[in-house]
Amino acid sequence: MKKFLVYTVKILTITILVAVILDGLYTFIFLQSKNRGKIETIFNSKAKKYDVIVLGSSRANNHFVSQMFEAKGLKTFNYGMSGGHLFEASLLLKLMVERKYVIKNVILEADLNLSNDHEAEGIAALFLPYIHNSDVIKNHFETQENFNELYYIPFYRYIKYDTKIGFRETFFTAVHKKTNALDNLGYYPLEKHKNGNMKNNIVNLNPLPHNKYYEEIKEICKANKINFIAVMTPMCENVVGMNYFDKVKKAYPEIHNYENAVVEDKYFSSCGHMTDTGARMFTSRIIKDFFNK
Amino acid sequence: MFFNSLAFAIFLPIVFFLYWFVFNKTKSTQNALLIVASYYFYSCWDWRFLFLLVFSTFLDYYTGIQIEKSKSEKNRKFWFWLSILVNLGFLGVFKYYNFFASSFSELLNSTGIKASPILLSVILPVGISFYTFHGLSYVIDIYYKRIKAEYNFVDYSLFVSYFPLLVAGPIERATHLLPQVKVKREFDFKTAKEGVCQIVWGLVKKVVIADTCATYANAIFDHYTSMNSFSLILGAVYFAFQIYGDFSGYSDIALGVSKLFGLDLLRNFNYPYFSRDIAEFWRRWHISLSSWFRDYLYIPLGGSKGGIWMKIRNTFIIFVVSGFWHGANWTYIVWGFINAVYFLPLLLSNSNRNNMDAIQLKFNFDSVKVIMSILYTFLLTCVAWVFFRAKTITDAVAYLKQIITNRDFSFQYLDNERYSYELSLMIGVFVLIEWNSRTKTEPISGKGSMMKMALAILAILAFGTYSDYKEFIYFQF
Repeated sequence: MKKFLVYTVKILTITILVAVILDGLYTFIFLQSKNRGKIETIFNSKAKKYDVIVLGSSRANNHFVSQMFEAKGLKTFNYGMSGGHLFEASLLLKLMVERKYVIKNVILEADLNLSNDHEAEGIAALFLPYIHNSDVIKNHFETQENFNELYYIPFYRYIKYDTKIGFRETFFTAVHKKTNALDNLGYYPLEKHKNGNMKNNIVNLNPLPHNKYYEEIKEICKANKINFIAVMTPMCENVVGMNYFDKVKKAYPEIHNYENAVVEDKYFSSCGHMTDTGARMFTSRIIKDFFNK
Repeated sequence: MFFNSLAFAIFLPIVFFLYWFVFNKTKSTQNALLIVASYYFYSCWDWRFLFLLVFSTFLDYYTGIQIEKSKSEKNRKFWFWLSILVNLGFLGVFKYYNFFASSFSELLNSTGIKASPILLSVILPVGISFYTFHGLSYVIDIYYKRIKAEYNFVDYSLFVSYFPLLVAGPIERATHLLPQVKVKREFDFKTAKEGVCQIVWGLVKKVVIADTCATYANAIFDHYTSMNSFSLILGAVYFAFQIYGDFSGYSDIALGVSKLFGLDLLRNFNYPYFSRDIAEFWRRWHISLSSWFRDYLYIPLGGSKGGIWMKIRNTFIIFVVSGFWHGANWTYIVWGFINAVYFLPLLLSNSNRNNMDAIQLKFNFDSVKVIMSILYTFLLTCVAWVFFRAKTITDAVAYLKQIITNRDFSFQYLDNERYSYELSLMIGVFVLIEWNSRTKTEPISGKGSMMKMALAILAILAFGTYSDYKEFIYFQF
C-alpha cells in the first residue's frame, strides 16, 4: 500500500506540474497576442489616443461604422463585442484607462444589455488568460462565484473555457493567425439575410434599476473626463414589448433613445441587428447629433 | 455522478481510503462498505430509483433461492418465470412501453383507424438494462443448475449493484464476480497500478477522443442536409470514434476503478476497429453484452445447430434483439438488422471463426489484405453507425444517400465553428497508439510508464473537451 500511495503522489505531482507548465505556456502565448481580438489587442497595447470609442454588445459592434467617424476627422475604434454584456464593456474600459489611453468620447450601446449585470461567459473568458497579470482584471472577477477556482487552480480557466481559450485558440494565437475582429476599425458589417429572424419578443425583459456595470462605466468616464454618450440602438418592426425602451428611458434619463432611428425591416439583417446600410444611416444620425459642432 | 466529474474524483479516494484502511477487517465489512458506496453513487442520479434497484436485487435473490430449494419442477418453473417476467416487465414499462404504444397507434392510424396512444411520462432509470441483465443471468444460471444460489444478501447485492459496473456495465456473470465477492480482498500494488493506468487511458478516450468527436459529429449529423459528401463521411467516422471512445473509455474507467478494490471485471472491448470481419468485430465490441446474448438467447434458441433457416432465424433474432436492447427506437432495430445482414454470409460460409488469431503485419501481400479487410470492416461498421446515430430511419437513409449523390469533397465550415477535417489528425494519432498497444489492455503501463502517464495527463488537460458532452452515451441505455 505504501508503494501505491507513493505512486499516487507521483501522479498527482505530475498532474500539478503539467497543469502549471501548461498554464504558464498558454498565458505566455496570450501575452504575445496582437491580432486575434479586441481584448488581447488592448491588453497588449500601450497608451493610444481616441476621439471616439464605441462599447457594447453586437448591437454596438454591428451598428457604429467607425470609418464614418474617421471621415469626420475623429479617430475612432469600435470595441463592441458580439455576445458581450456590460460586465465586459466596463472591464474593457478599465483596461484602456490602466494603459493610459486618452479618450475624448465613449459611446455606450445601453439598451437590452441593461437587463442584467452578470458576465457573458464566452466573452468574459477572453480576459482570463491575463488574470494573474492585471489587478484590474483580477479585481473585476473577484466578485464572481468561481473566482477562487479560476484564480488559484492552475490551468482551470483554460479547461473551463476550452472553446474560447483552449488549445485551438492558443495554437492560432501562437502562429499569429489573424481574425476579422479588428478589421474596419472594429466595426462588423452585416448583410441582409434571406432567412433572418425578423421577430423578437422582449416583453419579459426589464432594465435593472441600477445596473452595476453601467454605473461603473459612467463613473470611469466622469473620473477620467471622458464625454459619456449612452444610446439605445434600433430594433426591427416586429418586436413585442417595445415599451422596454420607455422603461430604460425612465430608469436612465440620460440614455438617448435611437430605437426608432431606423425602422424598416429592409435595413435589418436580423431583428436586433441592422445591415451595413442601416448601420450607416444610424451612424450618420449619431454623428449629426453629437459630433456636428 | 459521472466518472469524469469532480464529484467522482472526491468520492473515489474517500471510498478507497475507507475500504483499505477502515473496513478492511473482513470481506463482510468490505462488501458492506461497497454496497453503501454503490447505493450512494446510484442515488446521486435519482434516489427514487434506488427502491427499484433494491427491489430488483431482492427479487432475483429471493427467486434464486426458491428455485434452488424447490423440489418440484413446477415450483422451479414458477419462481423462474416470476423472476423473468417481473424483470422484463420493469424493463418493458420503463424502457419500451411508450415505443410499443406509439408504434401500435401509428400502425392503426395507417390503416385508417384513428388512435391516440396513452403514453407514460416516466424517465428511464439509469442502468436499468444493465442491472436487469445481471439479475437475469443469475436466475437463468441457477435454473439450469450452472451455479448455486447465493444466500448472503449483501454479497448478492454487491454483485448486482457494485458501483463501477452499475450504470453502464460491463454486464457481469455470477460465475465470474460472485466468487471474488465471497473472499476478503488483499491489496495488490501491481493490480492497483494497472487500475490507475486504465482509468487514465479511459479518461483520454472519453474527454479527448469521444467528447471532441461529439462536437464534430453533432455539427454534421444535426445539419446533414447542408453537408457535402466529404463532411458526411467524416461525420460517420467521427461518430464511430465518439461511441467507441465514450463506451470503451467508460469500460476502462470501470475496470480500472474496480481493480483499485481488488475486483476483476469482465473485459468489454478489445480494439474492435482492428477487426478483419464483422464476426471478429462482435467478438471485440461490447463483449459482455454480445456474450450474454450468445449464452442466454442464441444458444438456447439452437445456435448454429439445425438447418440453414434455423441459423438465419437465430442470427437475425440475436442481432435485432441486441439492437432493441440499446433503446426503444426503430433506428436501433435497423442497426441490429444491418449487422445481422453483415454477419450472415460469414455464418453461412462457416467463416465466422476465421479470424481468431492475433493480427500481425509484415511486409508482404497478406498484410495488405489484412489492412484492406480491417478498413472494409470499419467501413461497414460506419454505415451501420449512421443508423444508430440518426434520429429516424429516414434521416439515416437520406444521410447515406447524400454521401453518394452530393459528390463534393471540399472542406466545410461547421456549426461548431470548426472545419470538418480538423479532428482527423488527432484520430490518426489515437489509432496509431491503439495499434501499437493492441496486445495489451491499455498503452500506458509497461516500459516508460511514468512518461506515458505524463503525456496522457497532458492530453487530458490540453486536448480534452470540457464545455459540453459530459454524459456517457450508454447511460441512456
